Amino acid sequence: MQKNDQADKFIIPIGPQHPALKEPGHFEFTVDGEIVTGATIRLGYVHRGIEKATESRTWVQNLYLLERVCGICSHIHATAYCLGVERLAGLSVPPRAQAIRELVVELERIHSHMLWLGVAAHEAGFDTLFMYSWRDRETVMDILEGLTGNRVHYSANILGGVKIDVDAEQTKTILQGVDFLEKRTHHYLDVVTTDSAFVQRTAGIAVMSKAVAEHFGAVGPTARASGVTQDIRIDAPYLAYEDFPVEIVLDTAGDLKARFVVRVQELFQSYQVIRAILDKLPAGELAVTMPRRIKENETISRVEAPRGELFYYLKSNGTDKPERIKIRTPSICNFGTVPALAAGHQLADMPMILAGIDPCFSCNDRMVTIHRPADDSQTWTWEMLRQYGISYYREKER
Amino acid sequence: MKIGVMISDIMRSLFRRPVTEKYPFERRAAPQRLRGHLIWNQEKCSGCGMCSKDCPAQAIELITLDKANKRFVLRYHIDRCAFCAQCVQSCRFKCLQMSNNDWELAALKKEPFTISYGREEDIAALVGKLIPADAVTPEKA
Repeated sequence: MQKNDQADKFIIPIGPQHPALKEPGHFEFTVDGEIVTGATIRLGYVHRGIEKATESRTWVQNLYLLERVCGICSHIHATAYCLGVERLAGLSVPPRAQAIRELVVELERIHSHMLWLGVAAHEAGFDTLFMYSWRDRETVMDILEGLTGNRVHYSANILGGVKIDVDAEQTKTILQGVDFLEKRTHHYLDVVTTDSAFVQRTAGIAVMSKAVAEHFGAVGPTARASGVTQDIRIDAPYLAYEDFPVEIVLDTAGDLKARFVVRVQELFQSYQVIRAILDKLPAGELAVTMPRRIKENETISRVEAPRGELFYYLKSNGTDKPERIKIRTPSICNFGTVPALAAGHQLADMPMILAGIDPCFSCNDRMVTIHRPADDSQTWTWEMLRQYGISYYREKER
Repeated sequence: MKIGVMISDIMRSLFRRPVTEKYPFERRAAPQRLRGHLIWNQEKCSGCGMCSKDCPAQAIELITLDKANKRFVLRYHIDRCAFCAQCVQSCRFKCLQMSNNDWELAALKKEPFTISYGREEDIAALVGKLIPADAVTPEKA
């Protein structure tokens, strides 16, 4: 992730601890006066070794470990994992359980997008919008707490189904909350598209064309704001998305304003799908029994997290523990676009450009392997790595 | 935004009660499904140990004193608990449940974070068994 064309220019290092963002990330901006000419990003300060840790836990225990990959989109991680494990075990999950999972996924998307709206407004210096959107977000947090028993890490899933049911009283509370939030969201859409001071910070800033978005492999709302027609909920429906579909929200402008509009418009899709689910919730069982051991097999699982496509690779080996679990989170896909978009903008725009991709730093403790051509051997021994490290730091000290 | 809308918003906000609540003086009733403190009902427990096996945080120890006479002690470590309620799901005899009232679990010492459930004589027997064992260890070292 490097775009440092003029290394002799003035470099401003920011982070890992810095006041602009609450999470750790190191940025080096090459500047010419106030204009940024290049940017380097270093991530991975929150690496926890979760993928390795899954190998020493049972399938059941991993559900809760993987739910904790991210605190904002926790349910979608658990859902992606459950869908994969259930496919490995050849289980068919009852339709009611799938619909309830989808309900919680969409409620979580509302909470995530409203949280992002507040953070992005805060980065733009529009703290009134930040306070309002976070106040209204409490509505969906209360709904989630009432429905699942917790504000975050809902633990609504178990392997083979869900723990929670939706009764008439819950339905009433959710519908009331959704009505209130829909009214507020119309107001927010109005604010982010018409408030002149705010639009000056977003319109025409960090314009990403469709080709650039595809080149860097951007996913989710970031890509859809550049006109990339990609939404896993529509492309490869999972859970109950075939029965309760959503419509794709696209914008072709590709600037920061488009990213605001796409995410706020997606809230309306979530409201619509929540109403549809509650209206026609299939009857039946909540869960089926899951076997303890899973025979040797491998599978993938793709879902649309609030930030984009979330990808799980799962491999079983016949025991009650997985052989390998690989997670590809949406934030790591979107981060590649930031250095490309930064060049040519003012330094003061950097927090907004970064907030525009809705970065989730705890998602970024992932390792990325770049495949090289077969003849370009990149096998390093431990000793070679050690020598490289010693000489690297010697060079740096000079 | 139009000036008129802004002024009406200001006027409404001026006379509105604050959104924040004065906790701990004001308390909201906890939701029915809130997952708080774990409660064990010994009567139905068969001692299968699925709760402790499935716990992702090693928060439950089920100590068997005498399986035939159903003498078990369940030691619950609140500080390790992730409040996920997997144990409640794993229990086939429905002996476990999570309280929706006990959620203010902070303490200044470590002791309150370990709770031993079971018959008093069983817990006493367990303490009697464990203390001499612990006392011997430093001498050995």
